[in-house]
Amino acid sequence: MVTLAIAKQTLEDMLRRKILLILLIVAVAMIALGPSVGFLSPRESSAVLRSLGLAVILLAGLLITVLTGIQVIPTEIERRTIYTVLSKPVQRYEFVLGKFLGGLFTVFVMVASMGIVFLGVLRYQEGRFAPEMAQGVMMTFFQMTLLGALAIFFSTFATPVVNFFLSFGLFIVGNLSSVTESLLQNKNVATRLVATLVHYAIPNFGNFNIQNKLIHPQVVIKNMNVFIMQNIAYAIIYAAVLLILAIIVFDRREV
Amino acid sequence: MHPATRRKLLLALVPLFVAVVLLQARIDPFVAELHKGSRTPFAGLTTEFILGPLLGMQQAVAGLLWVRADEFFHEGDYDAILPMVRMVTWLDPHNLDVYITGAWHLAYNFTDSSERSDRRYIPAAQKLLEEGDANNPGVYDIAFELGWENTDKIKDYQRAYHWYRICAYERKGADERGELTKPVPMFVWHQLAHSLVRLGRIDESIEVWRKALAMSNELVRQDPKDFSKRNVRDSERHNLELTLKRKFSRYTHEVDWSIDGKRTKSIDPYTGQPTPADAYLFLSEDDIRQKREQFTNVGEPVPPMSVGSPRPPAVVPKWETAFDVRPTFVEDKVLDLKGQFNVGDGARVTIRLHDENWRPPQLKAFTFDIDQSVTLMQDQHSVRQGTWGRKIDMSKDPKMYSFKSERYFLVFEFDPRGTSPFIQDRFGWSGEGMTDRKYLYVESDKNPPNRILRKVYRITRAQVFRRAPITEADVFPAAEYARLQKQASPPPPAQ
Amino acid sequence: MAAAVSIQGLTKTYLDVWTKTEIRAVDNLSLDVEEGEVFGFLGRNGAGKTTTIKMLLGLIFPTAGTATVLGKPIGDIEVKARISYLPEEAYFYEGMTGWDLLDFYARLFRISEPERSRRIQKALQDVLLDPQAWRRPLRGYSKGMRQRIGIAQALINEPELLFLDEPTSGLDPIAHAELREIIVNVGRRGKTVFLSSHQLPDVELTCSRVAIIHQGRLLKTGRTDELTAGDKVEIIFEGGDDGLVEKVKQVAGACESKNGAKRVPSVDPKDVNAIVDLIRGAKGSVQAVVPHKRSLEEVFVETVLKESGS
Repeated sequence: MVTLAIAKQTLEDMLRRKILLILLIVAVAMIALGPSVGFLSPRESSAVLRSLGLAVILLAGLLITVLTGIQVIPTEIERRTIYTVLSKPVQRYEFVLGKFLGGLFTVFVMVASMGIVFLGVLRYQEGRFAPEMAQGVMMTFFQMTLLGALAIFFSTFATPVVNFFLSFGLFIVGNLSSVTESLLQNKNVATRLVATLVHYAIPNFGNFNIQNKLIHPQVVIKNMNVFIMQNIAYAIIYAAVLLILAIIVFDRREV
Repeated sequence: MHPATRRKLLLALVPLFVAVVLLQARIDPFVAELHKGSRTPFAGLTTEFILGPLLGMQQAVAGLLWVRADEFFHEGDYDAILPMVRMVTWLDPHNLDVYITGAWHLAYNFTDSSERSDRRYIPAAQKLLEEGDANNPGVYDIAFELGWENTDKIKDYQRAYHWYRICAYERKGADERGELTKPVPMFVWHQLAHSLVRLGRIDESIEVWRKALAMSNELVRQDPKDFSKRNVRDSERHNLELTLKRKFSRYTHEVDWSIDGKRTKSIDPYTGQPTPADAYLFLSEDDIRQKREQFTNVGEPVPPMSVGSPRPPAVVPKWETAFDVRPTFVEDKVLDLKGQFNVGDGARVTIRLHDENWRPPQLKAFTFDIDQSVTLMQDQHSVRQGTWGRKIDMSKDPKMYSFKSERYFLVFEFDPRGTSPFIQDRFGWSGEGMTDRKYLYVESDKNPPNRILRKVYRITRAQVFRRAPITEADVFPAAEYARLQKQASPPPPAQ
Repeated sequence: MAAAVSIQGLTKTYLDVWTKTEIRAVDNLSLDVEEGEVFGFLGRNGAGKTTTIKMLLGLIFPTAGTATVLGKPIGDIEVKARISYLPEEAYFYEGMTGWDLLDFYARLFRISEPERSRRIQKALQDVLLDPQAWRRPLRGYSKGMRQRIGIAQALINEPELLFLDEPTSGLDPIAHAELREIIVNVGRRGKTVFLSSHQLPDVELTCSRVAIIHQGRLLKTGRTDELTAGDKVEIIFEGGDDGLVEKVKQVAGACESKNGAKRVPSVDPKDVNAIVDLIRGAKGSVQAVVPHKRSLEEVFVETVLKESGS
């Protein structure tokens, strides 16, 4: 109950942030204007619309997640509201989890709103409902779950600016999974070691980029559902690892 | 937190992390499968492409985009390139390669499942080049590409000449600093000469070759050790000689050869001037027998011919081509052609099927947007041993061939101006040596007039879907077809 | 009475990363706060007051020493349900309404409905917050209203012990007085109040006991009335015979006479009876015997200056 109360308060607080609302409005406008960008590419306007929509959701989701993740705990310290919370019968882990969940709810609300607009635009443009695109939006959300947990973990010891670069940097490195995977077979032992470390130890954000399949019908994946479920499990388990680390670090944090 | 709790949490991390690694190992094959296919145009763009322009680094971003587009090109994902082409030309309107490559993709690389180009994009390709040319005034490169595309893809030789002429006489090349200080390369003049040949304007072409040769002679004089310049000059000599030889062998008796007022039989390779040399004479009775057969075949009186006497022009007498074709739809939207054409192997017949009211559109501004409802198919078949034709399957590409119109024109054409020199040797540059009992059509609006072969059917949608057969009753007058097409076509550029 | 807060040798040191020197924010502090008293914790800015409170609440961790709050070691979650805290210059969640803010804090105390609404209402009434402001967002609140909300959130769990850090700083005189009144009322209800302040008149009026801390060290502790009690008495009298003034002067050292009224400005308490007897024996009439009282401010300044001087 305490965790949820903190999560609810965090969600409400984040939803009042103008920067996040502006991001959401810009993203929704870009998605809604997507059909007019079809002129950029003949024959494949539907593919452009789909990839543009997913890219906008990813980009906006990324900014929203990072801005939320790096802020939720430092803001409490900066405004000293954390004193009023932690002086009450609230365990520190409840605080960390509440803040994470609140941030996650925020990202969910934002990504879901963009996703609904996106599906609506597709429905209007193509005349049919495209449930497989909801899959893409869902993957983005789980990607953001993992990224949010990472940002929360960093925020237990790093300043928001440092955290911003750390989270973004690891997001980019973690997106290179196809590169690191090919390096796993490299002849050079050192390269192979580094690649293995990056590939397995750094959150592998590249796993979630299934846009290719969603945009190009010719890309066929056997057992797509297994793939999706494994990705969700990956996001949740890795997020749990990060949150446990965050809790351990935050437990000794002086506020 | 109690130290024991902390220890338990740290221990819990171990199995969780093992689970993460195991999951990753299971996810990897899926990701590999996922990336086998083509790439997506926008998702492949990372933040630098979006942040860059905001920071005033348009050219840098345009360059990055272009590198990315190149990757797509190597992956064969042409569709992904076009948005980038548009973005790069917006960001950096002075990148000539982007217009040229983009137009090339548009005109050549969109194909149906039988590798036939989607010609509905040709006006867009042309407009993109024209936009690029307007954005880069004075540079020859894009005008040259316009000339080339009109020659090679569109076969609009009038328009090709228009652009090459502008290119040769009004444009300059850019130096390392991007300033227009360099004369256009000699190959611009070469293409100008070739385009004049395609228009049947042989004497003008010869003049251009001479002009080019004079320029190259001067260049070689300035820099005698530059072998590439020598090579260029030698090829100009060769081309001048070849054109003159062809002109004389095709259209005149040997005795009439005269260049610059001198009777001659060949060209001096060093001066480019005519010199007396070997004659084009009948050398054997076999030669004479073949020529005599030609006259009897077309029912013309045989002139006197003997060994050692000059040959008559190659295009005499006129050759009966017996051009014809029987089109049948053997399945819905699958056309089977059985054609005949009395011509040497390798001559190519153009087949075109389009909506009755389709005309080459004239775009006011560049757009990728085309009328997707238009059906426009064009193909070419080679003649072998007097016959040609095969199946044309339009059933697999409903996007390209929607067959939304009620009526269609089905056109079969042979244009001597676009054919190989060895066929032109008999037919002449403008079909002077060619005749056909049924399908000869003289394009008298051209100067000089061009004699082409053209058979036109006007068919209905029902016939495409085999509810009625195509018969000779559907044949449509070629002159009327030309008039209809010309009505809506833009007037050809001046000169 | 049992100790509500008991501190033994509490020390907090920080390392200054620039000068590599150790800063002792709180230095070997020992202190007891009795249950039911309003305890004043005095010190200049940076004396270590807030650091001490944050250690007591488990927000930061002591370098050395121990403390118990309500009989349990610091950081105990059960204890936290029975105490509350108003931080210095607290900022609350600006977008929330006063009511929602209290609702949030009440949830952190695991107080469920309908009790939660009852408590919120009572707390808002206790701090005299205008009911029209209850449903307005905090960003529109004045400083005084914010401070009231701050105290209201500290009352929401009906705590046995309140830590108030500079609750009255930066307020206008009326708000100041009202807030002081609220704190006095809290104290009257038998709650223990740990009041950290440098607003000495407030402390003097509200606190029964005070401690003075300077540069992390405890300088003085004691009952407020004892600390401020004077060691001299002033006597004013009229009449008496002619030799009286001289006789009083011999005992008290000084006696002023002005328009018939006589004043003995500084009398040692043990001499009061002798002088009164002297006056009455000479037919004089004692108008007033006034004990000299010092203000807490005087005590504070004197204590701190003495420490700084040494």
